[in-house]
Amino acid sequence: MNVERVEPAPAPPMLPAWSDAFTGDRRGRLNRVRPFGHLDRGAAFGGVDGSGMTVAVIDSGVERDHPAIGRRLVRSVRVELTGEEADIVEDDGTDVVGHGTAAAGIVHGIAPGADLVSIRVLGPDNRGKGLAFLAALDWAIDEGVSVVNLSLSSKSEALFADFHAMADRAYFANVLLVSAANNVPGPSYPSLFAAVVSVAAHDISDPLVWFYNPAPPVEFGAYGVNVDVAWRGGRTTVTGNSFAAPHIAGVATLIRARHPGISPFETKAILAATANESDVAQPGNAGNR
Amino acid sequence: MSGDPAAAALAAVRAVAIRAAVAERLESPSGEAILRSVVDAAAVLIRAEAASIALFDPQAGKLVFRVAAGEHGQGVIGLSVEPGEGVVGYVYSSGQPLAIGETTVDPRFRRDAAERTGYVPRSLLAVPLADEAGTIGVLEVLDRRDGAPFDLGDLEAAAVFARQATVALRATRLERDTAGLLRSALTIVAGADGAGSGLTDDDIDTLVSAASAELHDASHEASPDVGIWMLADAIARARAAAPEQLGLVSDILEALARRAETRPGRYRRTGRQ
Repeated sequence: MNVERVEPAPAPPMLPAWSDAFTGDRRGRLNRVRPFGHLDRGAAFGGVDGSGMTVAVIDSGVERDHPAIGRRLVRSVRVELTGEEADIVEDDGTDVVGHGTAAAGIVHGIAPGADLVSIRVLGPDNRGKGLAFLAALDWAIDEGVSVVNLSLSSKSEALFADFHAMADRAYFANVLLVSAANNVPGPSYPSLFAAVVSVAAHDISDPLVWFYNPAPPVEFGAYGVNVDVAWRGGRTTVTGNSFAAPHIAGVATLIRARHPGISPFETKAILAATANESDVAQPGNAGNR
Repeated sequence: MSGDPAAAALAAVRAVAIRAAVAERLESPSGEAILRSVVDAAAVLIRAEAASIALFDPQAGKLVFRVAAGEHGQGVIGLSVEPGEGVVGYVYSSGQPLAIGETTVDPRFRRDAAERTGYVPRSLLAVPLADEAGTIGVLEVLDRRDGAPFDLGDLEAAAVFARQATVALRATRLERDTAGLLRSALTIVAGADGAGSGLTDDDIDTLVSAASAELHDASHEASPDVGIWMLADAIARARAAAPEQLGLVSDILEALARRAETRPGRYRRTGRQ
C-alpha cells in the first residue's frame, strides 16, 4: 500500500487537559527558582488550627457523626434540581457514598478548628449534574465560606462560561476554590481555571508534603495514594486526585486563619512558597527545607 | 460527470456508508465486541481478577453493566446501579477516577454485593468513560492478582483503556447518526433545488441502497484514513480470540501506537494497490 504524508490538519488548541501524577522522577521536572526565597511554614501557618474559618465540601454529603469529623460539621445542605431550577435545601448529615466524608475528614485532620459545611450535589436525585454543581458554588460564595473543596468537576463544554464566571466570582468574593484535577484527558471545569487552586496526587504518605508545579494547569501535588480516610460507616484506603485536593484545602485553611483577610492569590503564593522541594523522598519529612 | 450532483451525492453517501458499515460490523453480532476487548485488555495488563464496563442507560436512568472479563467478573453483567450509588455511581457522577481498598463498612453492604455478583472484591478501581461531550459510563477493575492495592500507574492505565472505549463507542454511535443525517441532508438538498437536480425521494433511496450494496466489500478492505478505524479493525479481528489472549493486547497496542504516530496529521492512500 502506498502511503504518503500529507499536510497535518491544524492542531487542536492546546488544551491543558490533565496532569500526570506527581510521582518519582516526574517530580524532578518541578525545579525552579523560588521568587520568595525560603518562606518558613511556621510563619505561613504555624500556631493556628483553622478556628474561625469555614470550609465547604461540595461532594456526596458528609456523615455528621463520623469520628473523623470531630463534630465540626455545622451545616448540611443539598441541591435539589427541578428541571433547570436548582434549590438549596437542608440535608440530614449523611453521605450517600463516603467520598465527601473522606474529604471532610482530611480537611479536619489538618485544620481541626475549622467549621465544616457539606453541600451534597451527588446522589440518586441529581447525578452530579453541572447545574447542581454551579448552584452549590453559588450558595457557598453567598455564605461567605473561606475555602471550598471540590473533589469533582464537569467536562461539559456547554457550562464552560458559567463555571468561568463562577470561579471569578469566588475569587473576587475572597472565597478560595480548591479543586481536584481530573486525570482523564479533556477539559475539566473549574479545575483548569486560573482562579482555582488545582491539585493532583503524589505518593508520599505524608499529609503535609506538597509540591508546586510551575507548569500549570495543575499547580499542586498532594498526598493522594493509598490514603487512609474516613468513609461511610467506617474507614478505607483510597487513591485519587480527589483525596489530594482536601490536603491542600486544609493547609489553605490554616494559611487563611493565620493571615485574616488574605486573598486567594496571596494564599496560593504562600502555598507555592512553602511547598516541599521536589527531591523530598522521605515520608514524615514535613519540613520543606 | 464532475458537475453531476447525483454522482457527487453518490460518492458522499458511499464514503459515509462505508464508515457506518464498519461501525455496524463492530456492533454485531453481540453489539459489545469493542467493550469486551477493552475489559479483556484492561484485566490482562493491569493484572486484575476482573474488569467490567457499565454504561449509562438514559431510558432506565441507571448504569448497567454490559461486559466483564475474568471468571470472577461475570456475575456483574446485567446488574444496574443508580448513578449516585456506590463507588461506580460516584465515579460516573463526579467524573473523578478513584481506587478504593478494603472498606470497614457495615457487613450488610458486603453481603448484598456478594449476593448480587457472587464476588466481593478486596479492592476496586473505577474510571469514567468520558470525553468533551460528557460521561457515558464507567470502567471498573477489581483486585490486583498480586494482592497489592491499585496504584497511580494502574489508575492511569485504566484511564487509557477508558478513553479508548469512549472513543470507540462515540465513533460507532456517531457513524450511525451520520448515515441518517446524510440521508436527511440529501432530502433537503433535493427539496431546495426543486426540479434542478432531479433528485427525487426515489432517487435518494436508490443512491443510498446502491451505496449499501457495495458496503460490505468496501468495509472489509483496509481504509485506514483515520487511526481509529485501524484500532476498530484490530478489535474486530480480535473478537473471536480467547479472552485473555495476549495477541489481542498486542493488536490493540499496535493500533494505538500507529494512531499516536498519525495523530497530528493524516495518512491517506494514494492508490488501491
